[in-house]
Amino acid sequence: MPDLGKLCLAIALLLAIYSIFANIYGARRGRADFIVSARHALWAMCAMVTIAVITLWNGLLGSDFKLEYVASYSSTTLPTVYKFTALWGGQQGSLLFWTWLLSIFTSIAAFQNRRRNPDTAPYALAVMAGVAIFFLFMLNFVTRPFDLLSPVPAEGSDLNPLLQNYWMAIHPPSLYTGYVSSTVPFAFGAAALITGKLDDSWIRSTRRWAIVSWFFLTLGNIFGARWAYEVLGWGGYWAWDPVENAAFMPWLVMTAYLHSVMIQERKDMLKVWNLALIGLAFSLTLFGTFITRSGVISSVHSFTQSGLGPYFLAFLIAVVACYTALLIWRSPDLRSPAEFESYLSREAAFLFNNLVLVGIAFAVFWGTIFPVLSEWVRGVKITVGPPFFNRVNGPLALALIFLMGVGPLIAWRRTTADRLVRSFAAPVALGVAAGLIAVLCGIHEWYAVTGFSLAAFVLGTIVVEFRRGVSARRHMVSEPPARALVNLVAKNNRRYGGYIIHLGVLAAFVGIIGSSFFKMEVKKSVAVGDSFSIGSFTLKYLGLDEHENAHLEQATARLAVLNYGRQTTVMTPAKLFYKRQQQPATAVAIRSTPFADLYVVLAGLDDNGNRATFEVFLTPLVIWLWAGGCLMAIGTVVVMWPNVRERAALAVAVGRGRAEEYAGEAAPGGGR
Amino acid sequence: MRVGSKRIAIAATLVLSLAAAPRAFAAVRTTVNQVSQGLTCQCGCGLTVANCNHPSCSFSVPLRGEIEAMISHGETREQILTYYRRKFGEKILSAPTTEGFNLLAWTMPFVAIVLGAGFITLAFTRWRAAPIAPEKFSAPAGPPAFDSDLRRRLDNELKENR
Repeated sequence: MPDLGKLCLAIALLLAIYSIFANIYGARRGRADFIVSARHALWAMCAMVTIAVITLWNGLLGSDFKLEYVASYSSTTLPTVYKFTALWGGQQGSLLFWTWLLSIFTSIAAFQNRRRNPDTAPYALAVMAGVAIFFLFMLNFVTRPFDLLSPVPAEGSDLNPLLQNYWMAIHPPSLYTGYVSSTVPFAFGAAALITGKLDDSWIRSTRRWAIVSWFFLTLGNIFGARWAYEVLGWGGYWAWDPVENAAFMPWLVMTAYLHSVMIQERKDMLKVWNLALIGLAFSLTLFGTFITRSGVISSVHSFTQSGLGPYFLAFLIAVVACYTALLIWRSPDLRSPAEFESYLSREAAFLFNNLVLVGIAFAVFWGTIFPVLSEWVRGVKITVGPPFFNRVNGPLALALIFLMGVGPLIAWRRTTADRLVRSFAAPVALGVAAGLIAVLCGIHEWYAVTGFSLAAFVLGTIVVEFRRGVSARRHMVSEPPARALVNLVAKNNRRYGGYIIHLGVLAAFVGIIGSSFFKMEVKKSVAVGDSFSIGSFTLKYLGLDEHENAHLEQATARLAVLNYGRQTTVMTPAKLFYKRQQQPATAVAIRSTPFADLYVVLAGLDDNGNRATFEVFLTPLVIWLWAGGCLMAIGTVVVMWPNVRERAALAVAVGRGRAEEYAGEAAPGGGR
Repeated sequence: MRVGSKRIAIAATLVLSLAAAPRAFAAVRTTVNQVSQGLTCQCGCGLTVANCNHPSCSFSVPLRGEIEAMISHGETREQILTYYRRKFGEKILSAPTTEGFNLLAWTMPFVAIVLGAGFITLAFTRWRAAPIAPEKFSAPAGPPAFDSDLRRRLDNELKENR
C-alpha cells in the first residue's frame, strides 16, 4: 500500500505539470482540445491525491507502523476518531491533506469553468496547478508521507495529547479549507492580470469562493479559539501566538476584500486595490504555513515544526514577486474613471473600513515578525506578546466597530445631513444610554465603556435597517411582521445576511470585552470537604475519582458548585496522563451561562488526592464569543444562499436554457 | 396596556437586565495574573507566564509563586518586571519596551494607518476634482451593461435555444 501512495503522488505531480503546459498552450493557440485535456489531467490529479490520502488513512486506521508517519503520530490504543484526524496531526499528513483540498477545489473550479470564462479559466487553472506542483514537489521529494521504517516498531509514538480533542478534529480542516479555497480567487485574479481581462468578471466568477474562504477562515479561527479555551487550561482563548496571528491575518484581509469588491461591482473603482488584496490574502495563507512549519518564531503550535521553512519562504517570495510584477505590468490598464462625491458616503466608509482592517492585519504582521527583526538589527531576542497586540489593536478594533455601524446606514454617493440625523439619532441615543448604564454599574475602564457603547450603537443601526426593511415590505405587500422579516432576508439575502454577520461580530466583540476586562481568578489548595469562593459561587471539594485504561490515566475531582448558597451543579475537572507520550494534560470543567463561564482547572494533587489545588476563572460574557461565531456562520450561509430573484433575472438575461449554468456564480453587484 | 407604556416596560426590562449583568463580573483583579501576563514563559511554549499550558511547568509554576510572594511584600508590577528583566534579559518581557529600536514596534502600525488615511484622503480629493459624466450620475446601480462580446454570445445562445 505505501508504494501505491508514493506512485499516486508522483503521477499527480506529472499531471499537474502537464496541465499547466496544456492549459497555457491551449489558451494561447486557441486549441480547445488541449484545454479539455488539461482539465482532465487536473481531475486525474485529484483522483491520484485522493488515493494517496485513502492510503495514508488506511495505514493510520490499521496501525501500519512500517509507515514512519503512522508510527510517529498514532498508536494501537489511540481512539479511532483520532487515528482518522492524525492525518493532519503531523507534518507530512497535513501537507498531504492541504494538497488534497487544493486538488479538489481545482477540480471543482475546472468543472465550473468548462464553458465559462474561456479566456481566463485556463490561466487560472494553470496558476492553481502551479500551487499544486509546489505542494506535490514537497510531498514527493522533501517531506514524504509514505517513507518506511526498518525495523518496524511494535507500537507507535501516539498523537500529541493536545491534539486528542474533538475541536482539533474540526479546527485544522476548517482553517485549511479557508486557506486553500482562497487559491481560487487568487488564481482568477492572477489570470485577469495575465490575460488583461481586467473587468470585474474575475470577481463575479469567484465571489462565492471568496465567501467560502472567509466562512472557513472564520470557523477555523473560532474553533481554534475554542480548542485553546478547552485544552490549554489557562482560562483564555487567544494568546496572540504567531500561528494564531497567521490564521487571523488572512481573515482580516479577506474581510477587507469582501467589502471593497462591492465598490468595484458598484462603481468600477479600486481595481488595483482588489487585486492587491486578494494577492495579499493568498500570500498571507502561505505566510501562515511558513510560520507554522519553519519554527522561525516560537509558537504553541510547535507540533508541526520542521525544516520546511526555506521552501515555503522561497515559494512565498516567488508568489509575491510574480504577482507584484503582474500588477505593475498591468497598472496602466487598471486605471478606471473614479467618481467620488462625499466623505459621507458608503464608499468612503468602506474604504476607511478597509484601511482599519488592513491596518490591524499590518499591526499583527508587524508584531509577529518584530522579534526576528530585533534579533537581526540589535542581536537581542525579544518577545511580542498579548500586551502589545491588545494595546495596539484595541483602538483599531473600536474604530472598526464604529465603521461597521456607520457603513450600512449611509447611502452610496452621498448622504444629506438631514438623512444622517434621521438615520443615526436612535442608534446614537442607544449607544450613549449603554455607555451611561455601564458607568452607573461601576464599570470605569474607558475601553470597556466605549466598547459597550459602540456595540449598542451598532446594534441600533442594524435594528434600524431591519425595521426599515420590514416596514417597507409591510406597506408594499401588507405582510405580517414575521413573514415580512423572513421575506426581507430571503429576497435580499446578500444584504441582510451581511447584517447577520455584523451581529455575529458584535456578539463576539461583547464577549471579548467582557472576558478581557472583568475576568476573576482564584487559585486555592483545599482538602476534601473544604470550600472556597469566587464571585457569587462557592466550590466545595467532594473528592477524587481515578481510573485508567491502556491509553491514559485520569484523576477526576468532584466539586459541588453553589451559586448564592444554592447547589447548582457538580463540576469534574481532571488531570490526564497519556502513557505513550508520557505527557500530562488537563481536562477543564466549564459551566457556561449567558452572563459568565465558571472555568475550573485541576492544577495539582497532594496526599493521594485528599488535597487538591484548583485554578478557577469566572469569565463574563465569553459565551457571546462562540455565539457570535455561530451567527457569523449563519449569516454567511444566508449570504451564499442561491437567490431566486437573481436566478430569475439571469434566466431572462441569458435564456432559460443556460440560466443554471450562469446562476451558480454570477451575482450582480446589488445588495450592500 | 398602551403602546407607550409597553415600550417603557420593555426599555425598563432591558435596562435592568443590563444593570444586572455587570454585577456578575464586578472588576476584581488578580495582581499575580496582571504581572505574569507581562512575562513570557521560557519553557518553550511561547505563552505568557500567566497562560503557560504545561500543568507542571518548571518555569512558570515557580515564577508565579515568586510573584505572589513579591506582591505580598508590597512590590509593584513595574518593580517585579524590572527585576525579571535584569535576571533573564529583555526576552522575558511579553511586550517590547518603549525605548530605542523597540519604539518602532509600537509606532509603525499607527504610522502605516496615518499614511494610509492620508493616501485615501488624497485619492478622494483627486476623485472629487474629476468631473463626473452626467449619464453616470443618473445611472441606476445594478448589473453592468453587456459588452459587445457578451452581447454577441448572448444572441448566439438565444438563437441556439429557439
